[in-house]
Amino acid sequence: MSEGPAVNAAEWFAIGISFGNSNSSIAYTGPDGKAEVIANEEGDRQIPSILSYVDGEEFHGTQAKLQLIRNPRDTVAYFRDYLGKDYTSIDPTPCHQSAHPQQSDSAVAFSIHDANDEGPSSITVSEITTRHLRRLKQSASDFLGKAVNAAVITVPTNSSAAQRGALISSAKRAGIEVLQLVHEPVAELMAYDARPETVVVDKLVVVADLGGTRSDASVIASRGGMYTILATAHDYELGGANLDQIIIDHFAKEFMKKHQIDPRENERGLAKLKLEGEATKKALSLGTNATLNIESLTNGIDFSSTINRTRYELLAGKVFSQFTNLIEQAVKKAGLDVLDINEVCGLSQAVHCYTRKTHESQVILSGGSSHTPKLASRLQSIFPVTTKILAPSTFPTALNPSDLAARGAAIQASLIQEFDKEDIEQSIHPMVTVTPHLSNAIGVRLLSPSVLGESSPDFQPLIDVETALPARRVTQYRVSNTGGDVLVRVCEGVREIKTIKPIPKPKEDTNGGETDADSELESDEEEEEIRQIVWNESRPIAEIALKDVKSGSKVEVVVNINSDLGLQVTARAIGSRGGVRFAVDAPNVTSDGSI
Amino acid sequence: MATAEVIPLTLPPLPEGWNAEKDFKILGTLSNATQRNIEPVGPHFLAHARRKRHRRTFSEDER
Ligand SMILES: Nc1ncnc2c1ncn2[C@@H]1O[C@H](COP(=O)(O)OP(=O)(O)OP(=O)(O)O)[C@@H](O)[C@H]1O
Ligand SMILES: [Mg+2]
Repeated sequence: MSEGPAVNAAEWFAIGISFGNSNSSIAYTGPDGKAEVIANEEGDRQIPSILSYVDGEEFHGTQAKLQLIRNPRDTVAYFRDYLGKDYTSIDPTPCHQSAHPQQSDSAVAFSIHDANDEGPSSITVSEITTRHLRRLKQSASDFLGKAVNAAVITVPTNSSAAQRGALISSAKRAGIEVLQLVHEPVAELMAYDARPETVVVDKLVVVADLGGTRSDASVIASRGGMYTILATAHDYELGGANLDQIIIDHFAKEFMKKHQIDPRENERGLAKLKLEGEATKKALSLGTNATLNIESLTNGIDFSSTINRTRYELLAGKVFSQFTNLIEQAVKKAGLDVLDINEVCGLSQAVHCYTRKTHESQVILSGGSSHTPKLASRLQSIFPVTTKILAPSTFPTALNPSDLAARGAAIQASLIQEFDKEDIEQSIHPMVTVTPHLSNAIGVRLLSPSVLGESSPDFQPLIDVETALPARRVTQYRVSNTGGDVLVRVCEGVREIKTIKPIPKPKEDTNGGETDADSELESDEEEEEIRQIVWNESRPIAEIALKDVKSGSKVEVVVNINSDLGLQVTARAIGSRGGVRFAVDAPNVTSDGSI
Repeated sequence: MATAEVIPLTLPPLPEGWNAEKDFKILGTLSNATQRNIEPVGPHFLAHARRKRHRRTFSEDER
């Protein structure tokens, strides 16, 4: 961006908006740099993305959601993913119990009575989005006491150019200039990274956004505070709605046992079960049991019942597995292993695996369904014990998973609102964002401590794979107690996953290969293999001799890599003058033109 | 990332007979890079964008 605000930069007053199929949130970053999610006039921070019309009056958010019981046909819900899409390509399933999507030219519309004394009108999803965003803008403006006129809005990583364009246009009609669209998982990661206690470290992060009607998982390399998405996985049929269904079915069966009527067959009964069942499910994230109370569930019969968390978790076991599968799938797509989402273990032979303190790995759980304790504990058991699972039930200072996207958007909004629109657009252009990334880690050879008291040379990464170039890292290493001449061998390295097979125990009778696939228990009958990360040198780059280094001193190695892969290295003993400095040329450009 | 990361591990001794004119030997070049998209968000990206658009290096940027 330019040095300061451009002369005629518009006066933006910008907020962050997360716009989901189920809920939306608005957030603001004040001059103090703190991002806060704003409550609307009803006190909601998670505002249902729902509009409902009763006698020409528009209801929004929670008030509109309640209308799903009395007035489902004039209530528009779960529409975000229809925006900018062709009618033929949408999945209408989420709208079964609200206004149905219809075709309008090639786009999606809803036929609703949105004005008094009139027949139904066809309202396009673009117009619905505009109305929804206008309400969000109004709530933010009222809260902040100043008219909001711009926003950073989060979008899924796989939203198309048409979807992005449609969102920008809908926002514009609502009086919101979209300064930038940012990817949901990146905004969610930024919400964590913006905390004052965060230090910039190189890390691999898995962001699991577990929502209401869909779930998305992403693997992000964070290098020097810059983010690169390595892989994503999406499931459009997996979200909190699947968990609601577990609760609905459970209570419906109980009701049937007593009254021989299936409340799910009655439209209003089902809507009540869905609304109250969701509240029961949320209560189970905090308490060990929760009650459901519904007046006149069906045929005028009131219903009240309790479910405990253990029972719920048992019933929902398969759905939980679908969530964890999605996350594992994203890790696989990135060409990684769950072990990579861990503190980097550099030394294979070392018994006490040394972990680089400045390197860490995280699994960020975002989205409303991430409040579910069992999901977090399942992930904790899949990833290495040292991996931080950032969710309310596994990490004491976790942020609210429902807030993350809006907070991240608000942080970005505060960073760019002083710039010219044109300036922002130039900075997000592929000319600036498409960047060479290291295809291998770069490191040095070190002695790994061994139990036997002997030492063997080993590779230790210094700059991680997938680091965006140019990059510069400064690292200090120890010198042996005797001092003397030391070798700094700079090389590329690759990691390997080594499996240590346990000594096989004599097998007792096997049951003919039959497996109980439906077993809810995760008992692993196979003998546990030990898997660990081992680093190997793959390509030598240079060797440096440092002579007469004092015992107990430290050697500092500075590595600077240019965008063309040219490399400058400086090595010197700390406290000494001089040192060795040299440059390695960029490799020749290959025939396909890539460097 | 100007601050040094301290790794509490030891560099190996110089092998017997190792010799080079200016105390360094170049053995190879880096492997080809992968072109990827960095996400245009956050303060570190903005600094990157500024450098790239003004063709400046890290050290120039620090001044
Ligand atoms: N405390 C909680 N415990 C369990 N589930 C919760 C909790 N709070 C919210 N949820 C669930 O989270 C889901 C909504 O998540 P979120 O607000 O992230 O969705 P979204 O991103 O707007 O929706 P979508 O995935 O449909 O685009 C709902 O299914 C809701 O029931
Ligand atoms: Mg979402």
